[in-house]
Amino acid sequence: MIRVLRVLCLLVVLGAVAAGLLMWKGWGAGPIPPASVDLASLDGPARADLIARGEQVARAGDCAACHTDPDGGSDLAGGMPMVTPMGTIYGTNISPSETHGIGGWSADDLYTAIAWGVAPGGRNLYPAMPYVSYHAITRADSDALYAWLMAQPPVEKPNTPNRLIPPFNLRFGVSLWNAVFRPDAAPFQPATDETPEAARGRYLVDVLGHCGECHTPRNLAYAMTGQPLAGNVIEGALAPNLTPDALVQRGWTAGDLERFLASGLAPQGVMTFRMFPVLSHSTSHMPPEDIKAITSHLLAGRSAPGPVPRPVAGTPDAAGHQLYLGLCAGCHGPNGTGQPHSSVPLNTNTTAMFDDPINLVRIIREGVEARDLAQGERMQAMPGFADRLDDTQMAQLVSYLRQRWGGHADPVAADRIAEIIRRVDGVEAAH
Amino acid sequence: MAIPKISFSATINGQKIGPVDLPEDLMAVELLQEYLNLTGTRLTCGQGVCRACTIIVDGEEGSRTVPACITGIAWLNGRSIRTIEGIAGKDTDGRPVPSPVQQAFLKHFSFQCSYCTPGFVNAATVLVESLAKAPIPVAEVEGRILTALDANLCRCTGYVRYYQAVREVILSTPGLTVDGPAQTANATVKA
Repeated sequence: MIRVLRVLCLLVVLGAVAAGLLMWKGWGAGPIPPASVDLASLDGPARADLIARGEQVARAGDCAACHTDPDGGSDLAGGMPMVTPMGTIYGTNISPSETHGIGGWSADDLYTAIAWGVAPGGRNLYPAMPYVSYHAITRADSDALYAWLMAQPPVEKPNTPNRLIPPFNLRFGVSLWNAVFRPDAAPFQPATDETPEAARGRYLVDVLGHCGECHTPRNLAYAMTGQPLAGNVIEGALAPNLTPDALVQRGWTAGDLERFLASGLAPQGVMTFRMFPVLSHSTSHMPPEDIKAITSHLLAGRSAPGPVPRPVAGTPDAAGHQLYLGLCAGCHGPNGTGQPHSSVPLNTNTTAMFDDPINLVRIIREGVEARDLAQGERMQAMPGFADRLDDTQMAQLVSYLRQRWGGHADPVAADRIAEIIRRVDGVEAAH
Repeated sequence: MAIPKISFSATINGQKIGPVDLPEDLMAVELLQEYLNLTGTRLTCGQGVCRACTIIVDGEEGSRTVPACITGIAWLNGRSIRTIEGIAGKDTDGRPVPSPVQQAFLKHFSFQCSYCTPGFVNAATVLVESLAKAPIPVAEVEGRILTALDANLCRCTGYVRYYQAVREVILSTPGLTVDGPAQTANATVKA
């Protein structure tokens, strides 16, 4: 008995030492590169150039995606909820307000927060701030962003307290997480054999665009795994697989992907869920050469022959066919061809192709509001059908769409639909 | 290739239709206008956005509106439907008598060109029917009208008149509100 106690004591001590070491390793920030520019001595035109570049960094980094004020008025005033398994985190005020924002920060402070995830005073940011992706931001981009942020109007809006489930509400715990999952801040360097366009694309996708934060599967500790961009269900929606093979299998061409990023619409789909704000805050403002760089990085030189409808898989659900004709065909057409600028074609749409039907179920249940996309593209409102389809009918319709255009012969069962709805409602309730 | 057909039957304005073979992808508005000569249902946007084509579908849970331009007969098969032609009642001589909603629209002149009016009448009728099943406080009536008729578009800007007509029907019909004047008057009469 005493022996057991001794071993237990030893284990507890060892555990405490290990935790302490990890805390020490993940505590605070490491070294930071020197400033790229002396902000104090910049003259008017040079400062204006820097601010303009900073705006491009803010667009490419999509700061507004999380830091926008959902009540409108400012892209930087904070309050946007992010629902995670650990609780709900609210984007903070990053306007240059001295009281509520980052008005008191230096350019070093901003770099440290972005690349190391540590705010002034050594306060750990939660990894909802994508410093794991941003760790490779260049100091020049961080400094340009700083100049732009400080040139924006301050918004005197207090931050919304996070609602995290204990023990995740204890910020020092993030040090443990950082010790294991946080890469050291290290400004991006093109590889020796990389073309400038390829390097730019990789930087935009992996670093500034932080695409992997949603599209990369996460492990039990909610850290991104070693399968970059392989697809992930996050906040009740599937962020699909963006690896070259998967994109090509879903019919993406380079031209269509460029259109999609720039205008929000392509024969393969329309920007929806969290990608609609990405379009409106970020990709629709990016210069064409950046869009091209992103596309060529994602497709890695490959491209589908075109958005060709998939052959019918199995026998399309007969009841689902009647539901499609009765509820969907009026806008999307009996053969899924859609109507330009109002209803998307379904015969080339990728939503029915995903293994996980969650997005399909959500769109049919919830509908999509009418949207001004970008570059003149728009989509009319799609009504939600939650009140007209029970789980069995939803299963029939979803199975039909997947069989007819998604290449999935296996039907989706009604209890799977019920499970998806429970999962989605859980995310809604957390907002 | 022959157009695939379905065997369709329904009750439309109280009258049994079918079974009859119809193209499976036929939209309700085409059925009404082209096959049944019920031309009161107006086709406008053809995309379910303007709601001029609103018709009523009756089910176990009560009545609801659907846009006839994008609702296929495949979904209406076997159901009970009302169009603008079925809203008025009849007197003992069989002459049409406007429904309370129609009467209020006439009184308030709630239309100019009238193209969207059938849709408004049907949406307002469904609203009145839903309130009869679940009355609301008077304070919520205005908001409820806005929600119920929000999707219906009128390009002659007749919204104020539609709104006034529907509010009058709701406030003057006993049983639609829990604390309205009609409710109080009714209680007094009963007493």
